[in-house]
Amino acid sequence: MEYGTIEREIQIDASPEVVFEVVSQPEHVREWWSDEATFGPNPGDPGELRFHSPDDESVKVAPFTVVKSEPPTLFSFRWIHHPGEVAKLGNSLLVTFELEPTETGTLVKMTESGFREMGWEVAVLEATYNDHIHGWNYFIPRLGDYAAKQATRA
Amino acid sequence: MSAPVDDELWSAIGDPMRRRMLDLLIANSGTATSLSERLPVTRQAVAKHLAVLDRVGLVHGEQVGREMRYSVDDAQLARAVAQLASVGSAWDGRLRRIKRLAEAIGQAKNEQNTSANEHEQRN
Repeated sequence: MEYGTIEREIQIDASPEVVFEVVSQPEHVREWWSDEATFGPNPGDPGELRFHSPDDESVKVAPFTVVKSEPPTLFSFRWIHHPGEVAKLGNSLLVTFELEPTETGTLVKMTESGFREMGWEVAVLEATYNDHIHGWNYFIPRLGDYAAKQATRA
Repeated sequence: MSAPVDDELWSAIGDPMRRRMLDLLIANSGTATSLSERLPVTRQAVAKHLAVLDRVGLVHGEQVGREMRYSVDDAQLARAVAQLASVGSAWDGRLRRIKRLAEAIGQAKNEQNTSANEHEQRN
């Protein structure tokens, strides 16, 4: 595997056309990820995700730019570059969804890369987001266990 | 499928050489000189990597004689593991929601088609 990349696969019982819509259209992205999502369909269009804090009125804004959009097989974007900057290698994370038709639906391969180029702070930033996005609390105890194990091993 | 979480951690910290250095330092503290003897890179290169690890708090240096002796910061290492694990977990959650949404939409479309077909057949 390439160092600095998160890789996931998931089988979805829906056609690649439907899955492509869900991963690439702002109105769907708002359902599975951020509280607000605005971005253009064309590569390079500036856009952003907004995350509302559940505790107060604060909002975190993450720039978001489509890199490639090839329905229904490939959708990729860069995010969390600094507002106003053009997204590129070294200032953002690249997320790629590859969709492959299967007998019962679609195999989705997701990769997120750029952690190495961006340095450690980004992982911290994501962890901060996760704290504020609904639903992540479930993972915290598991992470604690894992971290404790690592500490013991070290 | 996905790589083990700790692999992701190491990779996020830096390149494979820094990971090898961390592995060595987890076993025993070391200096740029002692590490370079066990790695296929120069002492100068090792010193640069150590500076990167030091900056993120994963190792700490202590002056011993003419050299700095480095050891791993266990607490920071554990925090780093947890942080990257949470990035992976975040994607697990997002992908589950993508699956749920897509399958609901797909099912709704199928039902529409079926009823449209039935409608056609009736006419």
